[in-house]
Amino acid sequence: MDQFLQALINGIMLGAFYGAMMLGFSVIWGVMGVINLAHGEFIMLGAYTTWVLNKDFGWEPFYAIILVFPLMFIVGYIVQRVLINRVVDQPILVSLLVTFGLSIIIANAVKLAYSADPRITETEFSGAWNVGNVTIPVTKTIILGLALVIMASLWTFLNRTRTGKSIRAAAQNKQAARIVGIDINAIYALTFGICIAITGVAGTMISPTQAVHPFMGAPLTLRAFAITALAGLGSIPGALMGGMVLGIVESMIGIYVDRIGTNLAVVAAFVLLVVVLITRPQGLFGGLRPVEQAEQL
Amino acid sequence: MTALATLEQQARTTRNKQIALALLLLALLIMPLGTQVADQTWVTDSRLFQFTQVFMLIALASNWNLTGGFIGYVDFGHAVFFGLGAYATGVMMTNQHSIQWPFWSAVIVGAIVAAIFAVMIGFPTLRLKGPYFSIAMLGTFVAMREIIRVSKPVTGGGVGLTLPPYLNRALFYYLTLGLAVAIIMFVWWIRRSEFGSSLIAIREDEVGAEMRGINTTLHKITIFVIAGFLTGIVGGMWAYQNTFIDPDVVFVDSRTIDLVMMTMLGGLGTVAGPVVGAAAIYWLRDVVWAAFFDWHLMIQGSLLIGIVLFVPTGLVGLFRRNGSGTTLQSLWGRYFGTRAEHPNEPGPGEDGPIEGAQP
Amino acid sequence: MTMDTAPLLEGRGVTKRFGGLVAVDSVDFAVYPGEVVGLIGPNGSGKTTLLDCLSRVQSIDEGRVFFKGTEITKLKPHNVAHLGMSRTFQVIRVYRKLTVLENMLVSRQWRGESLLSQLSPSHPDTEARARKLVDFLTLEHLVDSPAGTLSGGQRRLLELGMAMMPDPELILLDEAASGVNPTLVETIKDRIRTLNIDEGVSFLVVEHDMRFISDMCNRVYVLNFGEKLAEGTPSEVIENEAVIEAYFGA
Repeated sequence: MDQFLQALINGIMLGAFYGAMMLGFSVIWGVMGVINLAHGEFIMLGAYTTWVLNKDFGWEPFYAIILVFPLMFIVGYIVQRVLINRVVDQPILVSLLVTFGLSIIIANAVKLAYSADPRITETEFSGAWNVGNVTIPVTKTIILGLALVIMASLWTFLNRTRTGKSIRAAAQNKQAARIVGIDINAIYALTFGICIAITGVAGTMISPTQAVHPFMGAPLTLRAFAITALAGLGSIPGALMGGMVLGIVESMIGIYVDRIGTNLAVVAAFVLLVVVLITRPQGLFGGLRPVEQAEQL
Repeated sequence: MTALATLEQQARTTRNKQIALALLLLALLIMPLGTQVADQTWVTDSRLFQFTQVFMLIALASNWNLTGGFIGYVDFGHAVFFGLGAYATGVMMTNQHSIQWPFWSAVIVGAIVAAIFAVMIGFPTLRLKGPYFSIAMLGTFVAMREIIRVSKPVTGGGVGLTLPPYLNRALFYYLTLGLAVAIIMFVWWIRRSEFGSSLIAIREDEVGAEMRGINTTLHKITIFVIAGFLTGIVGGMWAYQNTFIDPDVVFVDSRTIDLVMMTMLGGLGTVAGPVVGAAAIYWLRDVVWAAFFDWHLMIQGSLLIGIVLFVPTGLVGLFRRNGSGTTLQSLWGRYFGTRAEHPNEPGPGEDGPIEGAQP
Repeated sequence: MTMDTAPLLEGRGVTKRFGGLVAVDSVDFAVYPGEVVGLIGPNGSGKTTLLDCLSRVQSIDEGRVFFKGTEITKLKPHNVAHLGMSRTFQVIRVYRKLTVLENMLVSRQWRGESLLSQLSPSHPDTEARARKLVDFLTLEHLVDSPAGTLSGGQRRLLELGMAMMPDPELILLDEAASGVNPTLVETIKDRIRTLNIDEGVSFLVVEHDMRFISDMCNRVYVLNFGEKLAEGTPSEVIENEAVIEAYFGA
């Protein structure tokens, strides 16, 4: 029973992180119709930035968010204007391939700069609380808190601010949005920038808990895709729920099926993804735009 | 010019092309003999090895084109069949528990394993549209790597397997040349057949094809399994040639990008495209790798972006205005409409509302 | 063609819902061999949805459909096509990259022959039939042009040809005259008439053009908000008060 509880707690904390981690991916897709296969690489960039700040400047990793957020926003803004803007009006597969190419470029550029050796950041917030027979690490609690803050902030931004509403309008109907005076290009750049900023922060959050290396992105992108399929596009409550589902599944696999590393968790994500796509193509929650349905004849 | 004269001219061009191809084939066939000729440094064992690699790439790209180009299902995880073929062959050849199979039978087992998996995974994934299919297959690829890694008793896990060494470079050269030629002819033949026309109909308008009596599920699964089987053969051959296999060396991420790039660079959906693309990519890699070793993957990534954005019809498309190929841009016009926001606004290349129920 | 013979196509209580919206509401109808039957109604009345149900693009929520006595309610679309029912589409669907001839060839009948038989290039008979149909549809000068280069009206003719390739007994026409210039409309009507009279092909025609309906149809069904409002000959239906009200409001 204790094992089950521990797995559950782990899963919830992991799940909340996943929910925040994939928000950028889902919103970019929902607003711009772009599937960003370089999502994991932006997480990796955030993680590396944090690591540099941690190692070379002695920063506490979590505080690095202050710098990572604006930095990644700028990176996202530039990438969107230079590259992504070219594929926004093209069929979605083009964005897949272009971002795929981008992911390779980013990953290998980082490998060139910092080698493929795994890194990790060191945080002061270590240790754990023991509640009964369950261990709750401090670091992961902070991550949980941050994740919830991120999700709440984004939700508020999208639903309660003028800019946020413009973004949602642009997602629903580009032509109509233009007609009421919304500058689509600016909106797209802003959206992409914010999403990449959040994604980078996810990298900061992950940096004390797992090995940081240039190729850590792909499994994360796959998870983002799986959760998007579960949650429906652009839905923030869905992201949280979907993230939890995945987090708990992975956690259970990790504890109950031992002698297998977390690599197998990727398999779990993929299997979940395929199952959801086939049985419930519209996801569990609706969102900005419904996931397209496979032809059911 | 009279119609008859133009026809004659066309016939002559076709004959010229056929003669050129025959000469090329002849040259390739006698090339290994060149190693016996003294005082020349061009035809060496390693040169044969290079050509073998190109032939394998051509075979791989042509297979990928069967699903990517002919039915329009862009498979980001096709390398999973390569990996399964490689591993099944390796397992049969290094069998610890009973006899070790020779290469010839092991590679067939490899291909069959790949084909069986294609059937299993094809049914669920081929129901998915566009990018979902692509990502689902990518997930399959990534997942299979881990599954093989944890199946230590059978596959040797992360440690890998060491196959018996192969010694005859020239034999492998002919083997892969034969395979590449066979696959090219197979693709050409399919393209000309009614089966091929049905496949292209599926690519152009899957719903319409189904409406018009084409059993799309049957067609898709069939070509998917064929492509998987043939790719499995290449995987098995590669494993033997490489002698050592482990999950990371077999299921290496760059293999997926290679497949996509080769066909896209050459021309999606054409017969010659993958051949041209494979040769071009190999030559590029050789040159780039030699000169810019650390940068070569980054350059490949940039190349992919460049091709998709600026040369969507591929090299073959540049030189021909032939309707047999296709581009990414037109492919997915069917699946998702282009980004036409207003339901009644046709996107570029569409002629009406996005299909759906109209009450 | 009398009402005593069995219907070629028959629908009983056909119902289709999209969430809360009932697009087709318990519709009964029949098409007898040799008939040209019209299906009209204001926009949103469910005409195309009904056609989609019959050709099995959409699933049918309630009710049953029979074609030549066989129940097709749950069949896959390609099997329905194999039984002898073809259709055209409101939004023209031709294979734009393929030539007119290739479009025709790829629409040939494939009544469940094995895949192996498909491995050869087109049978000369198939090609002969395709060319004959292309000529019949006055498209012979475009036979090797990609279908994407044809005008809207020419594409509608091509669609008709593609529907004819498998030698069907019934063709569902979805707005065959829409977006076509008047001269070509006359050609289309003339071809349909010939097919009906000489080849015995039956038609179920969804149309907005009332002249088309009066000229071509033996009987007409009127749908409104998914329900069958009226049925009868074209003149009966045009004079029906409920129909007039549906089209022009109270």
